[in-house]
Amino acid sequence: MKAQELLNRFHEIATCPKAQMAHYLDSGKKVVLTAPVYTPEEIIHAMGAVPFGVWGADIELNESKRYFPAFICSIMQSLLELGIKGTYEGASAIVIPSLCDSLKVIGQNWKYAVPSIPFIPMTYPQNRKPDYGVAFTKAGYERVIADLEKTAGLKFDDAALGKSIEVYNAHNAVMRELVCVLANHPEVSNAARSDVFKSAFFMLKEEHTELVRELIAALGEEESGPAKTKIMTSGILADAPGLVSILDDCGLQIVCDDVAAESRQYATDTPAEGETNLDRLAVKFKEMDNCSVLYDADKKRCAKIAADAKAAGAKGVLVVLTKFCDPEEFDYPLIKKACDAEGIPVTVIEVDRQMVNYEQARTAIETFRDIL
Amino acid sequence: MYTLGIDIGSTTSKCIILEDGERIVGSSLVVGGMGTKGPAQAVEDVLADASLTREDMQGIVATGYGRNKCTETDQQASELTCHALGAHMVFPNVRTIIDIGGQDAKCISLDAQGRMLSFLMNDKCAAGTGRFLDVMANILTIPVGELGDYAGRSAHPAAISSTCTVFAESEVISQLANETPTEDIVAGICASVATRVASLAKRMGVKPEVCMSGGVAQNSGVRHAMEVSLGQPILFSPLAQLFGAMGAARLAWQKAGK
Repeated sequence: MKAQELLNRFHEIATCPKAQMAHYLDSGKKVVLTAPVYTPEEIIHAMGAVPFGVWGADIELNESKRYFPAFICSIMQSLLELGIKGTYEGASAIVIPSLCDSLKVIGQNWKYAVPSIPFIPMTYPQNRKPDYGVAFTKAGYERVIADLEKTAGLKFDDAALGKSIEVYNAHNAVMRELVCVLANHPEVSNAARSDVFKSAFFMLKEEHTELVRELIAALGEEESGPAKTKIMTSGILADAPGLVSILDDCGLQIVCDDVAAESRQYATDTPAEGETNLDRLAVKFKEMDNCSVLYDADKKRCAKIAADAKAAGAKGVLVVLTKFCDPEEFDYPLIKKACDAEGIPVTVIEVDRQMVNYEQARTAIETFRDIL
Repeated sequence: MYTLGIDIGSTTSKCIILEDGERIVGSSLVVGGMGTKGPAQAVEDVLADASLTREDMQGIVATGYGRNKCTETDQQASELTCHALGAHMVFPNVRTIIDIGGQDAKCISLDAQGRMLSFLMNDKCAAGTGRFLDVMANILTIPVGELGDYAGRSAHPAAISSTCTVFAESEVISQLANETPTEDIVAGICASVATRVASLAKRMGVKPEVCMSGGVAQNSGVRHAMEVSLGQPILFSPLAQLFGAMGAARLAWQKAGK
């Protein structure tokens, strides 16, 4: 299959998650929703269900306002809005991690607002590195397993988890490879790049891995298009079509990213060794880093962003700041400082899930391009 | 060589014709911005002012929020790029530009060569913009162009919120009810705009020399309050509202191959 045909397929999946979910349900599989930012998808996969990423949508918010004030993350608000409106009906449960203040409160609201889809909390430790932190993570996973067994009727087997870990590590590797391959193919639009990442949330990872491998092979047989101005993106989410199309209009190419819904998902593999496979998975969380919602007193991610941008040849860093996202807002001044030290221009645009007009963002991005 | 810059803003349309990218040979400013007959009128006026025709123009660049809807040209540039170019033409030593337009505020940092280093734009909010002043002038029933004179006569500026236009409107009505002199209310309103935009500038970093551009630059009350907020003198030119159009005309000249 040609690259464009594969990209069309990714687009179809990324823009029709409901059809994907119906497809899995029709085939007799159970679907478990996984909320941002990190959930132990491997466990859900090992128990025979389809982990289905739910990061909300670009919609008008009405019903969720009964539960949330206006000044809270719109990803969470739109997730609850979709839940209330029945978009996720058919799912066996939703796993919501405790990685930021907004995520901590959505679970309680979900229980009352969407009683048809059981809420399963995944409580992570703030201090994930010490042994007691790893033990806490493992206890959180055991709670998720127990709840999935109880609410969804699934069964856990540690050997099956080992196989799922292999599936997920392979997917991580292919997504990291894809970022490098796409950096050399400016003819692939930022919108298409976004589709590849987004579709990963709506597919079984072994299926997505296969499709991405086909894309990498197809791109290998095609010549690279004319060069564009290379940039790096950073943020929680940067998939709004209105925003991504502006980047394409401005002749900018995302060559690497520090986006939570994109590369941050695939940065860390589960280690090869461990007493049990569940222990290995708990150690994976210990080893995860470089994310605004993962506690790090030294904020090493900020210097890493500057270093990654430099290594990828990005001329600048575009920070796509989700409105009211405290963890990301706290890190922005440090990211700016780190990039300034390396002589890499940075600009920030604020986005939320309710934006319909991107003209101010267009002005900022066009000006940013002029600076680069 | 003649080049035309068209700045289509939210409330006004401005045009400049430059000769050889340097000398202004025509200018126009009409009320009515994006989505009105203002842009067409501004082009007609500037051509008449310069005694030139559309065919004499060897390059046209549109800027401002209405740039992508401009039917005169397919060459567009962001207003920040154009304001930076225009301000640098008038003030070669300027390093910080504060542009307050009808619906937004922007701060631009330049290097010694006039290249943009960084910029910040305000949030989607009328506070700290020309729209804020329009609303307040309307409540006070005085022309917006006279706000600066009123503020200049104030001895005790009133405290007006810089957070929100809607809240500020209520505060102004309360001040009127308390019989606070109009001059003091106006000075408080100007300080409110200046404080909000000065915060934006401080976030970016303020380096001298500092100038203001955009329509609100005409308001001496805001300029004075901005000098107080920043602790810096603010350069002002009567052309400040035309900097965007001037920069667009300069860019058109650069694109036309000088």
